[in-house]
Amino acid sequence: MTQSDLNTVRRPIESANGLPNGHYTDPAVFAEERQAVLFDNWAGLGVAADVPTIGDAVPLTFLGMPLLMVRDRAGNVRVFQNICRHRGMILVDAPRKIEGAIRCPYHSWCYSTEGKLVSTPHVGGPGRNTADGIDRALLGLIEVRSHIWMDVVWINVSGTAASFEQANAELLARWAEFDKPLHHGGADSRFELAVNCNWKLAVENYCESYHLPWVHPGLNSYSRLEDHYHIEKAGHFSGQGTYVYRQLKGEDGKSFPDFDGLSDMWDTAAEYITVYPNVLLGVHRDHTFAIILVPEGHGRTVEHVHLYYSQPQTDPELRARNTAQWKEVFEEDIFVVEGMQRGRHAVGFDGGRFSPAMDGPTHMFHTWVATQLTRHRTPLAAE
Amino acid sequence: MTDLNAQMLAAHEANDLQKLVELYSLAAQSVKGVDATCFYLTHAYIFALELGDARAEALRAQLVTHGRETPDQSDLSAA
Repeated sequence: MTQSDLNTVRRPIESANGLPNGHYTDPAVFAEERQAVLFDNWAGLGVAADVPTIGDAVPLTFLGMPLLMVRDRAGNVRVFQNICRHRGMILVDAPRKIEGAIRCPYHSWCYSTEGKLVSTPHVGGPGRNTADGIDRALLGLIEVRSHIWMDVVWINVSGTAASFEQANAELLARWAEFDKPLHHGGADSRFELAVNCNWKLAVENYCESYHLPWVHPGLNSYSRLEDHYHIEKAGHFSGQGTYVYRQLKGEDGKSFPDFDGLSDMWDTAAEYITVYPNVLLGVHRDHTFAIILVPEGHGRTVEHVHLYYSQPQTDPELRARNTAQWKEVFEEDIFVVEGMQRGRHAVGFDGGRFSPAMDGPTHMFHTWVATQLTRHRTPLAAE
Repeated sequence: MTDLNAQMLAAHEANDLQKLVELYSLAAQSVKGVDATCFYLTHAYIFALELGDARAEALRAQLVTHGRETPDQSDLSAA
């Protein structure tokens, strides 16, 4: 594979180009980014609300890798490779409750929800369940390093990243006021959008407010472009905020209850941040959301959207309106990200140029991706 | 045993794990020889494990007595 030239991407925004076409259209570059960008960092996989009670197990495919998200008997969410240590058989092929052990459907090796191998039937011959060389202590499920924050299940597949708290210390501090129980709104507060674009285009569009007055004209009546500000933390996250968040109100004038203890700025502020690489978060005084971008190839992404509230019980009608409102906004973005994806097949496109005033958060993301790839390509130089 | 076999097949077909624990336990009692007994005990034990059924502990203890399970490894309830 010919490696893409990232030198122009890493220039200052005034003279930088965006990532070259191949980063959106070339399966080989997609494979390179899978490791360097998504596996080597803390990527979003799903949400803990998907496994709400002990024993809940959900199989997931992330970048081609079969994973199993489980809530173990102690109530902790764990992520395992969804394969038996015997013959590599898929263990769980549909969401279900694990009542006792995870039994492989092939030869019935059994694992606890903590991943421990607890039985190896007939491994030493009929009726003989032990064998020399089969050390159960060494043959537990392969666990993927994981962390829960904002109800998102983050995974570091390579196991090489700094701890989640270290890697995201600045964002955890910035949003410390939202570090409290978030209550998923339930079935009416989740939806998926399948889009024909590379996952990075969804990030890039989410990061900036430049497009808002053109793509989301409905916002113009109360949220002007000048009411927004950039959020930029090089190497970690970028996004945008608004000073004029307006709460949704029901016919009775009631709104969702606020999160406790928020400072005054959140009366009207809201922030929308991409936690690199693939999680889009939004926080408001009365609700948050998480969008997990699951790449399904270089030109296809599924956006998994989840909305959260400050209380376990909220007005279902208002909740449905809130979901519909956000869904409309996110759907308005689809033609843009899909249009940019098609545009990346234009031979000779140089990655584009950025508005120094308006595209800072997007340029910051490109720079970060380029940095991850450079590190991956020259591992010794990065040490 | 023929009837037991038919019941086992029906329980497998229905994925009735409770019944499978019961039937394989019965089968273990109906055969002669340690190997055959432990074969059926193993099946009963595995389905009990999958269910999180309390019978797993006693079934496992029988296998340990016959030297067919590791005595030093705790069962699922203590895993």
